[in-house]
Amino acid sequence: MEIQIPNVRKFRPPSIPGRTVARLIVIAIAAVFVFSTWFTIDPEEAGVVLRFGRVVRQVRSGPHLKLPYPLETVVKVPVERQLKEEFGFRTIEAGIHTTYSQEDLTAESLMLTGDLNVAVVEWTAQFRVRDPYKYLFKVRNVRGTFRDMNETVMREVIGDRSVNEVLTVGRQEIAAEVEQRLQALCNQYATGIKVEQIVLQDVNPPDAVKPSFNEVNQAQQEREKLINEARAGYNQIIPRAKGRAQQTIEQAQGLATDRVNRARGDAELFTQVLAAYQRAPEVTRRRMYLETMSEIYPKVKKKIILDDKLKGVLPLLSLQEQKEVKP
Amino acid sequence: MKPTRLAVLLVALFFIAVVLSSALFTVQETEQVVITQFGKPVGKPITTPGLKIKMPFVQTVNAFEKRFLEWEGDPNQIPTKDKRFIWVTSYARWRITDPLLFFQRLHDEQGAQSRLDDILDGEMRNTIAKHQLIDLVRSTNRPMVVAEDIAELSQPEEAERVEFGRHKLTAEVLQNARRRTGDLGIEILDFRIKQINYVDEVRQEVYVRMISERKRIAERYRSEGAGEAARIAGEKDRELRVIESEAYRTAQEIRGKADAQAADIYAAAYNRDPDFYRFLKSMETLQDSFDADTVLLLSTDSELLRYLNSAH
Repeated sequence: MEIQIPNVRKFRPPSIPGRTVARLIVIAIAAVFVFSTWFTIDPEEAGVVLRFGRVVRQVRSGPHLKLPYPLETVVKVPVERQLKEEFGFRTIEAGIHTTYSQEDLTAESLMLTGDLNVAVVEWTAQFRVRDPYKYLFKVRNVRGTFRDMNETVMREVIGDRSVNEVLTVGRQEIAAEVEQRLQALCNQYATGIKVEQIVLQDVNPPDAVKPSFNEVNQAQQEREKLINEARAGYNQIIPRAKGRAQQTIEQAQGLATDRVNRARGDAELFTQVLAAYQRAPEVTRRRMYLETMSEIYPKVKKKIILDDKLKGVLPLLSLQEQKEVKP
Repeated sequence: MKPTRLAVLLVALFFIAVVLSSALFTVQETEQVVITQFGKPVGKPITTPGLKIKMPFVQTVNAFEKRFLEWEGDPNQIPTKDKRFIWVTSYARWRITDPLLFFQRLHDEQGAQSRLDDILDGEMRNTIAKHQLIDLVRSTNRPMVVAEDIAELSQPEEAERVEFGRHKLTAEVLQNARRRTGDLGIEILDFRIKQINYVDEVRQEVYVRMISERKRIAERYRSEGAGEAARIAGEKDRELRVIESEAYRTAQEIRGKADAQAADIYAAAYNRDPDFYRFLKSMETLQDSFDADTVLLLSTDSELLRYLNSAH
């Protein structure tokens, strides 16, 4: 079998005229030139233009021109965007159901309070870039520095407060104080950062201590419950007793009026009768006596009439006769 | 144009480009530069950014950071003066102030970091060991606000006063460290304690203490509740008795007055003829005290029956 070997000597690259090459190169250079002279800055950004590494000007949002690369370059900084750092937790994906990292970040959030107790404080720091020049060129790793400052300042502020203050009443004040001190530190370090807001998120006692804190809340509830129950008992009895007391008094007053009125009536009756009596005492007296007797006698079923002249009646009495004894 | 001349021109251009690229260099905003010639520094360091020129080939550019740089301390277990073991994490910010000196003494950032480790860790240990834990935690003697109703309970047993405070403490570390870095061409801007935590055993003890403190507060609430409830119950009983007895007293008074008044009225009327009154009352009583079951023994001598035997 014969192998055909191509004649190498006769091989030539496809001939491209030198002019075409030169033209292409010029066009390419011109393209780079044009595209690198024109740039836009988004509304939320600011641009810093560097000539040979030196800052020559800052530009606001919109279209701009500059000298072509490599003479001038532009760095964009999102000055209007609110940036955020999280401490003690991490948002993985924000949304309707925001998901948080399961990572253990207690090293960030665990801190000592002024009464040497321990609290777990989670917070976010919202900030903006106020000075792009400082932000870019004064501090290396600004975000990392900002995080360090946050942790330091928060611990300083918490370290001057009791655990009760941290967990309950002091939240607003702590956030405000941290914000203020953090801004001062940002200025000292020339970070170009404006601290917008410090937001305390969960502030809790450590997990191991949580149940006993809940117990305190529970005990507080219990106290309220006991007191309320006692008040209820009080309210159940006292108004009723007051009503009853009023009733007793009213009744007594009724009785008193009754008594006095009756006395007056009796007295009046007596006075009238007496007047009549005095006009004919003897007759009236007798008449009254006899009237009374005649009223009484019919009422009594068993009457025994004794005559002084009769002797030996007494034994008969013990017989307890049923029928009337007639004289 | 002859091909040879073109070739010569191209070669010349190439050489010019090579020389220029070695002679020209840019200094960034974040940089400062020391020029060395065969390893030996030449001239003053360049600290302004822009396009610069140097001798080609023989001189080398050594760029150093101009920005504030980080230093982070390893978490360190340190005993305080009151013998409490704590983990301390610290950080510092520093920068290269004299690149030439820096280049000579420390050569590069790595060298600086390791030197800073020695200096700052050491100074921090020294300073912390001289002070109480409370001085590390607190900055001032600011009175701490506690919830009013549990104020007397939640005061820490040892009401420790801050004699020094965190600010002074870190300032002391910074000052001492600065003294030792003065001849290294660097400046430490700031030194701060980032995290302080108890070592694990101590933390468990603190938790136990916190739990017992909470339990005490809870007990206090419970007994307060029971006490207040008992007080209210007592008040209820007392008020009940007051109300009832006052009502009774008032009622009796009213009745007594009425009785007295009635008695006066009776007396005034009956005194006009007591004898007749007696008679009337007797009659009335007689009427009331007789009924069907009464047995009446009558003598014929009696007033009524006087006439039973005869009309005289």
